[in-house]
This record gives sequence, structure tokens and C-alpha cells, in this order.
Amino acid sequence: MSTSTTLDRRIVARGLTRAFGTRTALHPTDLDLGPGGVIGLLGPNGSGKSTLLRMLVGLVRPDAGTALVAGAALQGDGTEIRRLCTYAPGELAVYGELRARDHLAWLLRGRAPGAHARAVALATDLGLPVDARVRTYSHGMKRQMLFAAALAPDVPVRILDEPTEGLDPTKRGTVLDLLAEDARRGTTVLLSSHHLGEVDRVCDRLVFLGAGRKIADETAEAVSQRARKLVRISYAANADLARIEAVLAAIPHTRVARDGVRFSVHLSEADPRAFLAALASAGSIPATVEYGQLSLQELYRELYGVEGC
Amino acid sequence: MGRENRFYLWGGLAYFVVLEALLVGAILFWPDFEDNAEALRDFLPAGPLMQSFDQIVAGGVAAYVHGQHFFKGCNTVGTLAAVILAMNAVAGEANRGTLEIWLARPVTRRRLLLERWLGGAAAVTLPVFATTLTIPWLLSRVDTEMALGPLMLGAVHQSLLLLAIYSATFLWSCLTSRPVFIVFGMLLFTVLQFAMYLIQVVTHWSIFRLADIDVYARIGATHALDWRICAPLVLVSAILVAISLVVFARRTP
Repeated sequence: MSTSTTLDRRIVARGLTRAFGTRTALHPTDLDLGPGGVIGLLGPNGSGKSTLLRMLVGLVRPDAGTALVAGAALQGDGTEIRRLCTYAPGELAVYGELRARDHLAWLLRGRAPGAHARAVALATDLGLPVDARVRTYSHGMKRQMLFAAALAPDVPVRILDEPTEGLDPTKRGTVLDLLAEDARRGTTVLLSSHHLGEVDRVCDRLVFLGAGRKIADETAEAVSQRARKLVRISYAANADLARIEAVLAAIPHTRVARDGVRFSVHLSEADPRAFLAALASAGSIPATVEYGQLSLQELYRELYGVEGC
Repeated sequence: MGRENRFYLWGGLAYFVVLEALLVGAILFWPDFEDNAEALRDFLPAGPLMQSFDQIVAGGVAAYVHGQHFFKGCNTVGTLAAVILAMNAVAGEANRGTLEIWLARPVTRRRLLLERWLGGAAAVTLPVFATTLTIPWLLSRVDTEMALGPLMLGAVHQSLLLLAIYSATFLWSCLTSRPVFIVFGMLLFTVLQFAMYLIQVVTHWSIFRLADIDVYARIGATHALDWRICAPLVLVSAILVAISLVVFARRTP
């Protein structure tokens, strides 16, 4: 169990910026995360998620800005931060010639005694053959080995880049349960993911990145509220769409986007009854209505106009 | 034993075996060489190679051993070993995608790099010393003898040149993600340097002039290192390692 004080479990960043050549991977970004909880970092490919996570653990030097992770300032090569937090990379490259047990020991160099034994136990619980060479592992098994190494040390902060990528739904659920349990003990877990469905389950808070900029930073509940302000309706192909558009435009406190026979309607409040009543009174009854069932994937599409995985 | 050390251990052992095999063959050939030197000379072209041959004939067994072990064996096999042992230090990790997990542990980059440099440096230099130590015993097989002291000074000198070549390759490895470029680049450089050594008008521009029979003859005669060569070699290696540390500190996985 983590023993650090509450203040030592935060992730704070101010104006973190990084460019690669002429391309700005991350525009000045502020974060104030934790203490405790699971924070999801969401964004499409190339949005700057991995760059931000790598900067927070000192693997990529920021061009500007400061960061404080678990009470340690980001300076030099970031070793002080990496002593206080674990990191699981998104890139899945490992040493195939090593046995998993030895690979875990290699990954846990510099950690407190006992971390290796915990990692081996964790890997075994996850069903990994720890005495087999890693080259015999599948993609998902390698991912779980990196996860075991990241979860075993007793640290106040964990930073995980797509920890469930490539896992089957059962294993994904197990990994998320372990993260939720870890967060309940007070650890701050920052994870990135494309699998927006998993974020619903475990994250207390969501940070959205797009094109290297922070777009939103909200609690999961606030995001859920936002989802409840969205109604999707669709009509039959032979419907009078021009008339329907005119009807929708006339309903106050709404914002409408059309995609063929489907309309996405953003309401000003999380109660669709007035809107649906107005629609009915105008005689424009949709074929389907979707409300309150929007996954984050759909929300993501609505927010940023991009598809999640 | 860590995976890096295993690589250096096996690499160093393989290099030792090749070097020792060349040395055994050369020393067992010494009596024949001594008896047939005049006939062998007729096969050589005029120029630096014939001059080296004449130096060996004039210098006797000491010059022969220096020429065979240091000038021929260590300069060729040693350079190849230095390149192979250094090329993957960082570029190999980047190439296979493992640079990120290597750096993600709570260990300073300075320490990671110095450990790797030291492991490779040991694998490049220790076989030179180990094989040199066997020379007196091998010579006794052909009823000849040589003092170990000057031989070990020769091994120190040779090791400093190999360390400079190793450090240059190591720096290149810190700068790139393509080990294959390093291998071909360094091999091209080495072949070019040997070619230059054999051409009278440019022979003095070859780095192998720093470790040829002339140099080892001086070491043998004075029983001391030639610091006009050794000091710059040490300085060059130190500068290359310092630049490697600076480059590696800023490297992005």
C-alpha cells in the first residue's frame, strides 16, 4: 500500500510544451490531477497523449513548462520522478530472449526489494507463464507483463500509456479492476487510452487532448451530464428532411448537426422531454431516438468530430 | 548477470578465441618464417608493406610477434570487435524499440550509458591483455622467449587505440537508430585507413600508423609507453564519451 502523503500523490503541470522539428506535438498544457483516483487521458492518434506522458516521467524533455509528479520536480533526466512513479510505455517492445521472470527483474531495477516478487505473483495471477521466454508471448501477454511491472512497486503515482491495448475483454476487465483497486488505496493513476468504453468504468476524471491541445478536463460525472444533453434522432429515408430541419431549427435552446437522415441535437439542459414534446407537437415524429445511452466513443465523436477506436 | 553483461561476455570471449587462434598460428609459423624470410620477401610489393617486413626481419622474434599480434591481429579483429560491441549500445535499442523501457527505469541516463560503455570497453580491451599474456608460453613451444613487460606495454598501447575506435562508434550509436549504417560506415573507414597505410604518399595519415611495428619497436626498446601517442588517444576517448553523455541525455525514445 502506498505510504506517501496526500500532497505527494498529485500530478501538476504548467505550460508543458514540446515540438518535434516544425511540428508542435504538445501546445502549452496545464494539469492538476489527483491526489488519488484514476484519470483517463483521451485523444485520437497524434493528439499528444504519449508525448505528454513521456514528458511527465522525464523521457522526453519539454521545450518549456514545469511539472511536479508525486512531489518531485521534472528536471534533469527525470530519475527522481521515476523513483516515485511507475511508467508502462505504449510501445510494446521487449527483450524476447529473456524469461519473463528475468525480464520483470530487469524492468524493476532500482525499485524497492519485494517489487520483483509482487510482479511475479501478479504476472502469475494474470495467467502468464513467468518461466517462459518472452519471445513466446503473444502481444497481449507482453502488455500484461509490462502492466505487472508497473503495478508491483509501492509508489504514489502510476502513469500508464494504453495499458489495456491488445487485451481481450476479460483480461481488460481484470487489469481495470486492479487499477481501480490500486486507486482506492490512494494511488493516483493516469492512463491513456483509445478504448473509450473502458474509461466509463474506472475513471473518475477525464482529460481530452486534440491536436496537441487540452480540450477538456472534467470529472466523469460532468462528461456523463454532457452526454445526457445529447439526443440523436433519425428519420426514414423518404422523410421530408427539409421540413424536419426547419422544425428543429425553430425549437429554442438547441443546436443541431445533420448527417444524412440522422440528426444530433445538443440541448441546453439534461432533460429531453421539452424537446421531444416540441418535436411531437410539430408532427415530426422520428423513426429512432437515442438518449442517455451514448457511450464515450459517441460523445468523443460529438465533441471532436473524430472516431475513437 | 544482466542481459547487457551477457552480450559483452560472449562477445568478448568470441573475440578472444579468434585473436588467440591467430596468435597461435602466427607463433607456430615463426620457425618457418625465420628460415624462409628471404623467399617470402620476393612476394611483397615495394612500399610500406615491404618496409614493415624488413623491420620484422631485422627485429627478430619481438618485431614478428608485435607485427602479428598487435599490428595484424588486434588492429583488424580488434577494430571489428570494437565496432560490433559499440554499434548496438544505443542505436540497437532504438532500432528494436526497447529504448523506452531501458530509459523508463529509475536509473540515471549517465549511469546507464557509462555502464554500457564500460562493459563494451572491457570486452574490447581485456582479450588484448589476455591473449598477450599467453605469448611467452606460446613462444616456449617454438624454443623462443620474450619478456612479458614490453608485451604488456604494447597491449596497453593497442588497447588505447581500440578504445578510441570503440568510443567513436559508441558516440555514433548515441546519435542514430540504425546500427547497420554504423557497421558499414566504420568498416568503410577501417578499410580506407588500411589502404592508406599501404600507400607510400598517404601512409602517415592512417590511424594504423599509431600502432604499427615502428611504434611497438620503440616501446620494446624504451620499455615505456609513447605518451605522444597515448595521451591524445586517451583524450580523444574521454572527449567522445563526454559528447556521448551529452547527446544521450537529450535523446528522445
